[in-house]
Amino acid sequence: MHPIIETKNLSKSFKQFKAVSDLSFTINHGDIYGFLGQNGAGKSTTMRMLLGLIFPDSGSIYIDGEEFNNGRRHLLSKIGAIIERPDMYGYLSGWDNLKMFAALSDSSIKANRLHEVLEIVGLKGREHDKVKAYSQGMKQRLGIAIALVHKPDLLILDEPTNGLDPQGIAEMRALILSLSRDHGKTILISSHLLYEIEQVATSMIIIHKGKKVVEGKVNSLLNPDETFIEIDILPDDHILQKINASEWKPSLGSIKQETLTFKMNPERTPQLNCWLVGQGVGVTEIRSKHSLEAYFLSLTDDTVITNRAL
Amino acid sequence: MRKYISLLVIMLTLVSHRVRADDATQLFYTLRTKIATVKDYRADVRMKIDVSFMRIPQLKGTLLFKAPDKMRLERNGGLSMLPKKNINLTISNLIPVGNVTVIDIGNVTVKGKKLRLVKVIPEDDMNNIVLTKLWIDEANLVAVRAETTTRNDGTVIMDLDFNKYMSFGLPDKVTIYMDVKDYKLPKGVTMDYNNEVPVAPKDAKPKAQKGTIEINYLSYAINTGLTDAQFNK
Amino acid sequence: MIQLLRIELYKIFRRPRTYISFGIVTAITFVIQLAMLTDGKGFVNFALSGVNEQFDIQGNILNGYLITYIILQSLLIHIPLLVALVAGDALAGEANLGTLRLLLTKPISRPKIVMAKFLSSFIYTVLLIVWLAVVALFFSLLLFGKGDMINLKSDSFIMILQNDVMWRYGLAFAFAVLAMTTIASMSLLLSAFADNSIGPIISTMGIVVVLTILSNLELPLFTIIKPYLFTTHMIGWKGFFDDPVPYAAIGKSAVVLFLYTIGFLLLTIVYFNKKDIKS
Repeated sequence: MHPIIETKNLSKSFKQFKAVSDLSFTINHGDIYGFLGQNGAGKSTTMRMLLGLIFPDSGSIYIDGEEFNNGRRHLLSKIGAIIERPDMYGYLSGWDNLKMFAALSDSSIKANRLHEVLEIVGLKGREHDKVKAYSQGMKQRLGIAIALVHKPDLLILDEPTNGLDPQGIAEMRALILSLSRDHGKTILISSHLLYEIEQVATSMIIIHKGKKVVEGKVNSLLNPDETFIEIDILPDDHILQKINASEWKPSLGSIKQETLTFKMNPERTPQLNCWLVGQGVGVTEIRSKHSLEAYFLSLTDDTVITNRAL
Repeated sequence: MRKYISLLVIMLTLVSHRVRADDATQLFYTLRTKIATVKDYRADVRMKIDVSFMRIPQLKGTLLFKAPDKMRLERNGGLSMLPKKNINLTISNLIPVGNVTVIDIGNVTVKGKKLRLVKVIPEDDMNNIVLTKLWIDEANLVAVRAETTTRNDGTVIMDLDFNKYMSFGLPDKVTIYMDVKDYKLPKGVTMDYNNEVPVAPKDAKPKAQKGTIEINYLSYAINTGLTDAQFNK
Repeated sequence: MIQLLRIELYKIFRRPRTYISFGIVTAITFVIQLAMLTDGKGFVNFALSGVNEQFDIQGNILNGYLITYIILQSLLIHIPLLVALVAGDALAGEANLGTLRLLLTKPISRPKIVMAKFLSSFIYTVLLIVWLAVVALFFSLLLFGKGDMINLKSDSFIMILQNDVMWRYGLAFAFAVLAMTTIASMSLLLSAFADNSIGPIISTMGIVVVLTILSNLELPLFTIIKPYLFTTHMIGWKGFFDDPVPYAAIGKSAVVLFLYTIGFLLLTIVYFNKKDIKS
């Protein structure tokens, strides 16, 4: 079976700016594929290329093994997408928007299918309100309904939690998981927040300045043993000897002034804390951060990720 | 002796001329009286106005006339279009009123017809008409052509064809040749669609052109007593 | 394609803005009719002063046919704006709204989308002109009655008998549809370039105004380019009120407008087919 999406050496420049550069990745059927990168890293440009909205300067895109340019029309009918904001015709009702886009995807779609997708995204009962009266979350849901209505194999969701409140984010996450689990969709989801990807994705890619940084299975990329535990302590001249003499020696990464960094599974943090306290070390603060996240943060402006509860 | 003969000849010539002039004056007054017997009429007409800057289709209608100078074209809801009243479509307006001096030019032959040509000059200096030349068919006592020079409206020539209404001195067909001033509106106002008709270079001043009006009278109802009110609708 | 066209028409006619155009046409028509009711005699006397010196014109000069002509003359300059409101918005408006990217991820080719946008703009244009014909002609005849129509050109005076007018209006309105379709296709092209609809609407008006001025300037330089400007040919509808009707010139104008329309449309398709959608 062909991967549902395969790109080879995709590149795209806008005037002098290289938006995407030599990008290759593969998405397999059934994946929830996380597309991670800071704002401006090239996520949207890549997704737009996958949908034929933007034409690559070089490289190729295969959908189900077929070159995209050769079968644009029927390949697009296998894809449902929300790119950036879920923008609709505000002067029409949710139902009218859905009906219209459904007809554009597949003219044989019947009304009961529309009811079905409205049920899936949880918009039932509000479908006849004008879209301009919808909340951001409702627009997202309608966007997903439109993306789903023609039964595509692949959903491309660009930052689907953008602008949602915490409850909306949680509901969206549940919806994405359900679409994958219950409806068998392959989903490509982008975000600039690692933890968002981490919570739903099975595979992921991180891109930075248009280039691939890393790609792989989430559970191997986010191996808990790769977590950094940072511990701030009161000054202690003998701390290095104490650690070197203990079972924690292999885990120690670095000591910088009053900050110890260990690389280990965060489940062992309480034991480490106990041991330090037992050694008479004054622990003032403990932070944990996955190595990938630490790396990702080092790429990004760290203000981006502050809303994560640590 | 030869002197006397010469004198006699001169005197005779003068006398005969005098006689002929009196004759012509008489002819003119008789003609004018005949024309004046028509106080009013209502006539079915076909009118064709042919002026270079005007494009007007043949107009069918009823022409109403009341002496001395009232005229109106009724067209059943359509527009009435007549020359300004100084140049009336009826011959009565092309001949001077009041006392006149008539000069006899003599007989001329036009299109095989023998006609008497007279010049009529009004004695009243204030009259709009300066001079009228009339070509008169003496046998039928009708003027078949009038050429009137006016103070304000240029020269108007009228040709008249008679047939059925000859006895009333009313023509079946009248052709009027008149001077018309050129007409121009600024292009910015009209926003013309230029259909690529080559435009001849034009003088800045409006220049005089000839216009023709041709009227065919199909039938007359004469002296039915039209009221003034019928001309002021 | 029919489905796509139906959807485009649905979008146009479900939008309140669309009806503003019809409202504007109605309002301007009524304003002109009102002005003519109160002040028409003076207007006619002014316009006819050159003829009135020599001819005495009586009857219902200020009739419905003449009023309709006056309305067309003043309104057809502004109708491009109303056409641009829809055609200029067709692509740019969707780009601005953000719906364009959703639309283009549907399995429909871009040339088809452009064609549907063009055809829907065309249908809107036809309806707008038909509406104009109804309010201008019908209400003018109702208010001012029938009569022979006079038409003043800069160097001639034309009179058309009342039973000879209607077919001219039929053809004139058909010609107006063609002229406005040219505007629609130009607006659509500008719309393909832009990501918000104000640009194409204003550009359309700007181009029409500037070219109309050039078309009317009596300067040797402009005389050379004049036959190539579509604005020169847009007033071809007036030809039907000439006598004789200059069919050859009108036909040529129609061909020029048609070629411009096709040209604009093809450019739109070619450009839009390769455009990166970044909105």
